[in-house]
Amino acid sequence: MAFFHVMQRFCEDLRREGIPVTPSHSEDCFRALSLIDWSVEDFFYSSLFATLIKDYNYKPLFDNVYKRYFKSQIDLERLKQQLLKKGDESVPEGEAPEGAQADSEVKAQAAENQGSFKNKSSSAPDGRKNPLAQDFRLDSLDDVRRMEALFPLIAKRLASKMIIKNKRNDQNFINFRRTMRKSMSTGGVPVDLITRRKQKEKPILFCLCDVSVSVLQFSCFALALLASLEKFFQHVRSFGFVDEIDEITHLLKHADPKTLRANVLKNAKVIGIRGYSNYGLSFKHFFERYGGQLSQKTTVLIFGDGRNNWYDDEAWVLKEMRNRSKKIYWFNPEEKENWFTGDSRMKEYLKYCDRSFEVTNLLQMEDAFCQL
Amino acid sequence: MQQDITEIRNGMYQAGYICDDKTATTLFLAEALHKPILVEGPAGVGKTAIAQAFSRMKGLPLIRLQCYEGIDESKALYEWDYKRQLLHIQAVANQTIDVKEVEKDIFSDHFLLRRPLLTAISCPTPTVLLIDEIDKVDFEFEAMLLELLSEFQVTIPEFGTVKAEHLPFVFLTSNATRELSEALKRRCLYLYLDFPEQELEEQILLLKIPEIPQQLAGQIASVVRKIRQVQLKKLPSIAESIDWGRSLISLGKDDLDVETALRTLNILAKYKDDLHKLDQMVQTQKNLNFQPVLGSSLSTGTTPVQETKSSEAPSKPALTMKTIEKYYKNKK
Repeated sequence: MAFFHVMQRFCEDLRREGIPVTPSHSEDCFRALSLIDWSVEDFFYSSLFATLIKDYNYKPLFDNVYKRYFKSQIDLERLKQQLLKKGDESVPEGEAPEGAQADSEVKAQAAENQGSFKNKSSSAPDGRKNPLAQDFRLDSLDDVRRMEALFPLIAKRLASKMIIKNKRNDQNFINFRRTMRKSMSTGGVPVDLITRRKQKEKPILFCLCDVSVSVLQFSCFALALLASLEKFFQHVRSFGFVDEIDEITHLLKHADPKTLRANVLKNAKVIGIRGYSNYGLSFKHFFERYGGQLSQKTTVLIFGDGRNNWYDDEAWVLKEMRNRSKKIYWFNPEEKENWFTGDSRMKEYLKYCDRSFEVTNLLQMEDAFCQL
Repeated sequence: MQQDITEIRNGMYQAGYICDDKTATTLFLAEALHKPILVEGPAGVGKTAIAQAFSRMKGLPLIRLQCYEGIDESKALYEWDYKRQLLHIQAVANQTIDVKEVEKDIFSDHFLLRRPLLTAISCPTPTVLLIDEIDKVDFEFEAMLLELLSEFQVTIPEFGTVKAEHLPFVFLTSNATRELSEALKRRCLYLYLDFPEQELEEQILLLKIPEIPQQLAGQIASVVRKIRQVQLKKLPSIAESIDWGRSLISLGKDDLDVETALRTLNILAKYKDDLHKLDQMVQTQKNLNFQPVLGSSLSTGTTPVQETKSSEAPSKPALTMKTIEKYYKNKK
């Protein structure tokens, strides 16, 4: 019984990490465990993994919880010895009830240990429902790392959502050849119309990204995410700016999220004379240097909080950019209520943006990208 | 139970597939719980091969459904043989027969084209059903599959319900190009196959290419492992290293050297950029440890190397379950 509770708590903890574990998963897990010799760790581990986890991207999260529960407490040697003590005949035969009983004792012990462990780490944030909905509060390295763990997950989810979006868009011209061919089997009556799939135009993206300390983590996450979606955005060019602007596409291409920030600041000329974000000047320089490359096929994405440190906002540049490009979108990591306060020049800039998004967490980022 | 799992491992080995304890456990559970296995992993790592080996091990027929974008029920489940039905109607048109009779005739088993899924279900013996690249199918098809996998029965309106006498062993493979629905995942056991460790890859090479010298297998395994740590568009997987081994053998090489490696790199790299990268890597031998090779190329005279080789070659340890056991024990 004790082990049952341990497993329940184990599943609960997995859920808290954001892994979808349904009751039917845990039922399968119990059924699997009743068939397996627990004294071999590989067996134990893979029966848990095969039944509870259905996505490889969850593996690091799962391993973490698994380690917390079973790795540290259960000394396999000790478990074996305890089993041996229980009676020699029960072990080689591996009779289920006997073995299970011995096991449950050990596990009960583990449960106790686990309880004490839990008390120790009471700082673990409870009630955190979906890790994707967590804010970009990247104060500590731990938080950054947690975000990184989610990175492949969100990229995959995004990709699958976009595929759906693409597929639904097939109410187009009829493909006559295939329709006629199909109609042969219904005596020449075209029962099923086959439509031609529309080749979706892939946008050319120009991303302008504020890389000042306040919002850098956020914007680099966004850019790296965009870069990883090569399939959907073939031409992404990224520019970083503080009060000077420089292209950072090549830095992001195979970038490791951990070193991104240092890399950008080191290898690109993004800091000008003052070193405080200056949107107006950066936009102006961008327009001077790259404005000629904007066309009706390009979409401009701007990542930043629009806090201009009371410099001139030069909103006319944005207007010019809007005239030359297809769309301008603004992604702001601040909550909407704070957009128009203090030194934020969002009000002026928003006049020329087609849409703006509040992106305080990965979920919102996902939604926003889907609408591109 | 442990015996069962070890048995599966042995059986899979005899069928030409080396699997570790974790994989064997999943196979065992799939059999015990009658659940499909969803196999994911990089391309060429042996997802399809595991189903093939499993069917060989069990001595059961393998029925394979290769999925693609736009596959539908008529391609996967069943279809009425329309042309034959037409012919039949024309043939009996002159004889005045009851219409109902004709209808009954043309919707009989005789005019039913069985596609893989129906074949697997209606087979009188148990089968191994491999649904390859499930991530390519549309959502509608996935939903249809859902019903099939949980009930193992198909309803054909004109014909009745076909229920499986024996539950087939189902393998679903996916390259994870899109996310499968939770409902489908929930019904499956999950197995992720990753690139193997170096020793395991060596064993696989030795098993798959019986005539390969152990030294060469070791070299290939080590070089490929190094290559996998580099940022490439497509990392070489087991399939590529087996191909490489085979082509080196057919070139008559017992030993990997820089020149041969350079000439045969196109087997490992599938993109121009990757090839270019690997080329430079091999030329500079940066990060690549050609150590056994370097030794031979430095000692220009090939005789000492030959000697060591000849002393090794005959004593190439017979690859038995024992060596594999030993490998796993050492690993622990």
